[in-house]
Amino acid sequence: MLGTVNRVLIAVVGVVLLAVGGAVLAVGLGASAPSWWLHQGPHDVLLTTAERTRWRADAWWWPTVIALLALVVLLTLWWLTAVLRRRRLGELLVDTGDGAGALLRGRALEGVLAGEAQRLDGVAHAHVALKGRREAPEARVRLVLEPHVDPATALDHLTAQALTHARDSAALAALPAEVRMKGAGHKAERVA
Amino acid sequence: MSEPGGLQGSTLPVLEKPTQEDRPGAAGPADHRFWSARRVPAGVVAVLLLVVAAAFLYDVVAVRAHRSAMAWRTGLARQLAERPLDDIWVLLGAGVAAALGLWLIVLAVTPGLRAVLPMRRTHPDVRAGLDRDAAALVLRDRAMEVAGVQSVRVRAGRRKADVRAIAHFRDLDDVHADLDAVLTDAIRGLGLVRPLSLSVHVRRPGKKG
Repeated sequence: MLGTVNRVLIAVVGVVLLAVGGAVLAVGLGASAPSWWLHQGPHDVLLTTAERTRWRADAWWWPTVIALLALVVLLTLWWLTAVLRRRRLGELLVDTGDGAGALLRGRALEGVLAGEAQRLDGVAHAHVALKGRREAPEARVRLVLEPHVDPATALDHLTAQALTHARDSAALAALPAEVRMKGAGHKAERVA
Repeated sequence: MSEPGGLQGSTLPVLEKPTQEDRPGAAGPADHRFWSARRVPAGVVAVLLLVVAAAFLYDVVAVRAHRSAMAWRTGLARQLAERPLDDIWVLLGAGVAAALGLWLIVLAVTPGLRAVLPMRRTHPDVRAGLDRDAAALVLRDRAMEVAGVQSVRVRAGRRKADVRAIAHFRDLDDVHADLDAVLTDAIRGLGLVRPLSLSVHVRRPGKKG
């Protein structure tokens, strides 16, 4: 979700930069521009005073400029907070079966998941963060693997044990997980 | 006529095994690459946009409130009105802007996370990726167990694992064959969607080649 927003906004900024830069570069290097274009030839200036102040006397000009700038400021503020904030699930809803439901601290489940993952063979360190909604949580798992274990085996164990146990104990229908596996640091090479 | 049929019958199960292993991965929701959220470029672009827009907003409003414009804005307006398009600085700036724009577009449409190799799914809900460094470390660990291998350097690419071993005893060809077998097995153990192809080089210590 955030990835899509980031990519769309980055692409928009990129297209604007490429269009403006490319147009100035093309006309500046002697390409002919269409008659409605701002620049007509390489000796044109970037923006004449007349062009800049063209609508200044109109009543709508300054309110429009200010509104647009304010919109950009608000949008970028929202974007920046979305990028900087690491959303984590505070608590999740456990269906107890009697129609009441219970709340489970996200940190508690994260801790249990990470603890169980860490006890798996060949896992040097595990970190778990829960995201998503409280009825439909998602797990982000980071494992640091020791080199002696096969990653496929470690993933099998993680899926069959830690993730399944967490899903069952919180009575979740599903617990989608994204797992990243990294390597633990080097061991010394064998010396003959 | 029956012999080729019999031969086919005996080879089929062997051929089928890997495809059967592949199938759960292919059946699950697409095992594509991991896509980066592009947090860092997004943060940088957002900060720069915010600074520029806020500065303009502040100054425009200040001028509306009958205060004089700040020096940078009058300077900018004068520069814009004086610099012709074929001015070297204008061309340079336009080139930089165009290149930056192109780069941002590339960032927006490429997945990134080239260091992460997607792994086969063990469960439809579980998506896993293995760092190339971790893959290299595992392969190196396996290669070190082969008799005669003194040291190994493994570089895991996105498609290929490049293994360079130094063997201080045993026949080089034997070591090579052992490494091939062990590492092929180890690559299967990585559980990747697209198993790395293997390239093994073995040499004696102190000699190049």
